[in-house]
Amino acid sequence: MVEGDMERAEQIKKIIRSRAELIKDAPPLCFQKREEEGGCGVTGFACSIPVRGKHIFEPSRQMHNRGNGRGGGIAAMGFDNTMLGVSKEILDDDYILQIAVLETGIEDEIERRFIDPFFRVDFSEKIPSVEDYRDIPGLEVRPPDVWRYFVRVKEKVLDSFISENQMDAMERRHAEDEFVYQNSFRLNKTFYDAFGKQRAFVLSHGRNFFILKIVGYAEQVVQYYKLDDFKAHIWIAHQRYPTKGRVWHPAGAHPFIGLNEALVHNGDFANYHSVVEYLRQRNIHPLFLTDTEVSVLLFDLYSRTYGYPLEYVIEALAPTMERDFDQLPAERQEIYRAIQATHIHGSPDGPWFFIIARNDMRNSRFQLIGITDTSMLRPQVFALHDGQVKVGLICSEKQAIDATLRSLSEEDPRVGTVADLYWNARGGSHTDGGAFIFNLQQDGSNDMERHLSCVGKFGRMIEVPKGQVPYLPGRVYYMLEDGEQERFDISEFFELQRPDLLFEYLKNGIRDWDYADFMDCLGQIKSWALKGDAHFEVAVSAITRMIDHRYPTYDKKRRSILQMLYQAIETIFRHLPCLEDEASAGQQRPRVSERTRTSYRLIDWETRQFFRGPSYDEKVLVIDASLFPPEGDQCDSRLMAEAFFRGWRRFIVFGLRGQRFHGCGFGPSSGGVRIDIYGSSGDYLGSGIDGLSIYVHGNGQDQLGQIIKSGKMVIYGDTGQTFLYGAKGGEVYVMGNAAGRPLINAVGKPRVVINGTCLDYLAESFMAGDPINGGGFVVLNGVQFDHDGRVVPQPTPYPGSNLFSLASGGAIYVRDPFKLIEEEQLNGGEIVPLEEKDWDLILPYLKENEKLFGISIDRDLLRVNGEQKNPLQVYRKVRPPKEHAFEADGLEEWGKV
Amino acid sequence: MNLNSNSTRKELPEVVRTPSRFRNPIGKYRLNRTTDCIGCGKCVEVCAYGVHEIKRGLVLTKNHYLCVGPDCPRPCYDECPVQALSLRKNPTFDAIGDLRWPPDLLVSTWYMAETGDVPPASLEYRVGASGGGFDRMRLALPPRQVKEEPENEEIDVGIELNRRDDNAHRIRIEVPFYGGGMSYGSVSITPMLSRIKAAAALGTFCSTGEGGYPDELKPYDDHVITQVATGLFGVREETIQRVKIVEFKYAQGAKPGLGGHLLGDKVTEGVARMREAVVGYPLFSPFPFHSVYSVEDHKKHVDWIKAINPLALVAVKVSTPTDVDMVAVGSYYAGAHIVHLDGSYGGTGAAPDIAKKNIAMPIEYAVPKVHRFLQDEGVRDRITVIASGGIRTPHDVAKIIALGADGVCTGTADLVALECVRCHNCESGRGCARGIATTDPELMELMEVEWGRRRIVNLFLAWRKELVRILKRLGMKSIRELVGRTDCLVHLDYMKR
Repeated sequence: MVEGDMERAEQIKKIIRSRAELIKDAPPLCFQKREEEGGCGVTGFACSIPVRGKHIFEPSRQMHNRGNGRGGGIAAMGFDNTMLGVSKEILDDDYILQIAVLETGIEDEIERRFIDPFFRVDFSEKIPSVEDYRDIPGLEVRPPDVWRYFVRVKEKVLDSFISENQMDAMERRHAEDEFVYQNSFRLNKTFYDAFGKQRAFVLSHGRNFFILKIVGYAEQVVQYYKLDDFKAHIWIAHQRYPTKGRVWHPAGAHPFIGLNEALVHNGDFANYHSVVEYLRQRNIHPLFLTDTEVSVLLFDLYSRTYGYPLEYVIEALAPTMERDFDQLPAERQEIYRAIQATHIHGSPDGPWFFIIARNDMRNSRFQLIGITDTSMLRPQVFALHDGQVKVGLICSEKQAIDATLRSLSEEDPRVGTVADLYWNARGGSHTDGGAFIFNLQQDGSNDMERHLSCVGKFGRMIEVPKGQVPYLPGRVYYMLEDGEQERFDISEFFELQRPDLLFEYLKNGIRDWDYADFMDCLGQIKSWALKGDAHFEVAVSAITRMIDHRYPTYDKKRRSILQMLYQAIETIFRHLPCLEDEASAGQQRPRVSERTRTSYRLIDWETRQFFRGPSYDEKVLVIDASLFPPEGDQCDSRLMAEAFFRGWRRFIVFGLRGQRFHGCGFGPSSGGVRIDIYGSSGDYLGSGIDGLSIYVHGNGQDQLGQIIKSGKMVIYGDTGQTFLYGAKGGEVYVMGNAAGRPLINAVGKPRVVINGTCLDYLAESFMAGDPINGGGFVVLNGVQFDHDGRVVPQPTPYPGSNLFSLASGGAIYVRDPFKLIEEEQLNGGEIVPLEEKDWDLILPYLKENEKLFGISIDRDLLRVNGEQKNPLQVYRKVRPPKEHAFEADGLEEWGKV
Repeated sequence: MNLNSNSTRKELPEVVRTPSRFRNPIGKYRLNRTTDCIGCGKCVEVCAYGVHEIKRGLVLTKNHYLCVGPDCPRPCYDECPVQALSLRKNPTFDAIGDLRWPPDLLVSTWYMAETGDVPPASLEYRVGASGGGFDRMRLALPPRQVKEEPENEEIDVGIELNRRDDNAHRIRIEVPFYGGGMSYGSVSITPMLSRIKAAAALGTFCSTGEGGYPDELKPYDDHVITQVATGLFGVREETIQRVKIVEFKYAQGAKPGLGGHLLGDKVTEGVARMREAVVGYPLFSPFPFHSVYSVEDHKKHVDWIKAINPLALVAVKVSTPTDVDMVAVGSYYAGAHIVHLDGSYGGTGAAPDIAKKNIAMPIEYAVPKVHRFLQDEGVRDRITVIASGGIRTPHDVAKIIALGADGVCTGTADLVALECVRCHNCESGRGCARGIATTDPELMELMEVEWGRRRIVNLFLAWRKELVRILKRLGMKSIRELVGRTDCLVHLDYMKR
């Protein structure tokens, strides 16, 4: 060991030893019972400029169904010093000690015992709150009074702390951090007992961030403590879903603290007790008995006490396993092996997903970190919004990201409603490590504007294409008005009924037009659309294709184009006549001009009372879902199923904000029904469909297409976890990736084309017969679109393990010209070369795929490095091992297998 | 037959005596008749149980299995003028069963399935011999009143299943039990149909298990619980929409942490067709649901079923881990109507012994834990608690209800009514010697649906009768009064002397 290392090890030992005092009267571990909690909803974002607390409000509200109002909390990081009434130096240097007081009149005692003797208080206040908590609808328990102190440890106190614990060699700030940490522990121990009296506890004590939590929903924190207008760089929020207890208390809510980090968590550990034991060996004792507290204590232990770089902290929490480990470079393997050997007992086992806000003072940056567990059992989405204002977002569900952006863009037009990039992490992988970090780096002297960048666990930057400018609505632009003359020559597309040409026209227009032109053109299309069904259909079809397809956007940002397209199509839909029009005959609202009759009818939350079956000339029900609840008796998907039974056959749903279950409940005779979905669709979409077709214009969420029996499902984007679980049939096309565990336990004859890849466990226990004789299969193309809309291969068609694990039927056809998939990624199956009959089988599906997504068989799929290949060289087949089929004795009786 | 269960109180079916389908039913005793018999007919005259028969002057011991042995008030072997009769124990008797289902219980269950009432004497029909669980518990019944009241039917043993007060069906079952899940594949269609027809006749329900929903069950849709289990075999929108109760199977008490497992040998063509899988391959259900890793996922899952069938009741079947109380309350908040706790004593089929004997918490610990927790939470009267896992007798039913359940789910008892001998061959292939847990077309022929239906109806009518007797002894008018009355129980290990 080198001298420096020895010294460091000595320091670590000293810190840990100094904590022995804290836990000497802690109860023995076997009597520890932890609080039970289930899953939760987590959301967080980091913004290059400080933004108001109200923007955490909307995403939190959207995740109500992931919590039950028994605990919510937020953390904010990176403030404007003037908003807190302190100088910049104090904000930077002082610890913000924030204490929740649950019992009135004990503030003095707290100060006398834990603050005045040790701290120099530079500023203190009771933080403002709403006068009467009952003014906030739904808030049942009075939130705690919160006292905020800006403190430094008194010189003398720190001196004696250092000498008592022989921390002389240590950086003074380091020792001060430790003192603050230990003091808060003592305070909590004195005033807080998870099983007994709960009088006060420390909410947070780090620098430049604070935490607030209540018994209620997270957004009520914002309301109660009047944070609507309070600005910060990073906000994270948590909706808790505790399953236990009549007696709830805010201390159990997330986020939890280490020192300079706040953590929220979705999931729960199987090995809570083992982790607690591991911490106890390091003189750390959890007081709040939730696995979240334990998680952040681990994080703090690794990062502050052990001084690990973030990559190693992540490795200690979510170890790289199996094949992914083998894929790591040798030197990394060596380090990781050491980390795993030392810390595997502290590694949380089970489903979990962390969002961490961290003030990395040493490198003068704030960080927003998302880490997923090795098995990726919890949902997670990352997004990056680039532009003049940069935003990094991490959420449990995509609609929370959309809600955040919507909220931000309402206030600041520099933020768009669509992010540049959306992606999932692959837990414990050698590619991204299942973790991404948004860094807010201080940029020169301007403290209010920071530089945002995003890196994976291994430091690989996530970047958006350079040289593209976003749309700024504030800008003045001129519209050429020339009497009746239309600016864009699009009339013939409508007259000839050629949406495809209109699409080409728009697509090519992007190169030369500026945003204003593009908007003008969309405006013109809009007015055409209202001139009757035929024109409407051309307009909608062309705009939809613009939304669905990938193409070069040149100097413009795709997200800005998309934003305009979404806006245009929603406006068109909103101009359709409502169902109520017929009901209140005589007083028609002038939604469309009298002369146009249309077979489309709009229904929204306000007009749902007029819901009825279609009359003879009404064909399509257009549902504006924006105000409908995400599930339950009142939700829009329930309405849609009801509409089906009343005779509607064609549906368009738009304005979705995470509403679930579309296409569910139609029953077995839904052939001929078509549903188009626009916006942030929700979980379980199309789960159970038997006959109908459903088109998702955008990304799909989790649990799509479960138990699907027949019908068609097209997803113009990625889809989430457990896609097509237990599917029995149907034709399914996915433009992008399907996250983890798709097609598990699928039987019968599902036929699926996935153009991207899957993360792991693709088609585990697949039992779909013999594909050549009517069974099911998956075509995995392993391609993606680059920023210019070209189809390019992914680094590997399938990065994970357990491909086709324990499958007994069906097949996977993988586009793998370089034979990158290895035997060891399989579990029981075998890889064989493609045969002619296989190609004949999948060709029609690839043709449909080409039609839907524009992924050409000849130009894209069969061309490898610019060279045209024979399909038999490009595709490979994964099938169940043949010999097993007859292994079981006595089977001959039943004849053929 | 398609009776609407939420209509008013239903008439119970009549008992139709349904003897064994085998030539020599197994009984506890055998009577030996020597050649000294003079055919005087004395034995026929004294026997109150119909053991002997006289036909054309010839006396025969026709029904050995009905003999109550030494418990007989007027034993034929004492009365026989020529001492031609002698009593001995049937050697086969001791060879069947196991400690949880000792021969006494098996034979008495057969008796009930034949006659629709509890055996008159000699057989222990209340408890088994396991030395733990229900077998160490007794109902603390006040002494029998001298005056035997007439069997009056005013005592209500039915229970409501929907207590949430929501839009879903109002369902009342006439007996405090319904049939647990046994999949098509683990048993053949015959026992499946027998169980469901019996459930329909009794005004209760029976679960399909997770092997799909055969069309033969269609006429009884109103009495079927369809199961959505982790393998999702045979689960389609259609099957969910057909029924009034949908059951999520998260785990089984016999093998928590393991999914279902159908041996490859049992996956015949019919089974494979129903599950749309491949013939001859073992079928594993994963554990757990791949889409449910937390309580908010669970809520989403329940919401999904409600989206498909808004009127259906949702039952959540879970095993009994140590935090089963949390699971129960979580299920309630997620919108479930019924929480079904499956304890560790049950399990036939392919449940591995190591799991059956070691993992889950015994049901008699789990039920009071959940009951009390839900009470403290203030939601006990908003959810129905069903217990299962080793409920063998009407006394077990009464005991578990006194511990805090609302009702129970039966499984093995139904099979025993169909003359299962607990040989445990169901876990080792498709050959069930009694033609119950089999998919072999030849073995399936051993049984007829109508016979099976009658046997199960008889068994449960006997249970019902016995439950009414117990309630009467306790001075209760309804089975609901018994819920959570632990004061009506004693445990032999903790008796105060």
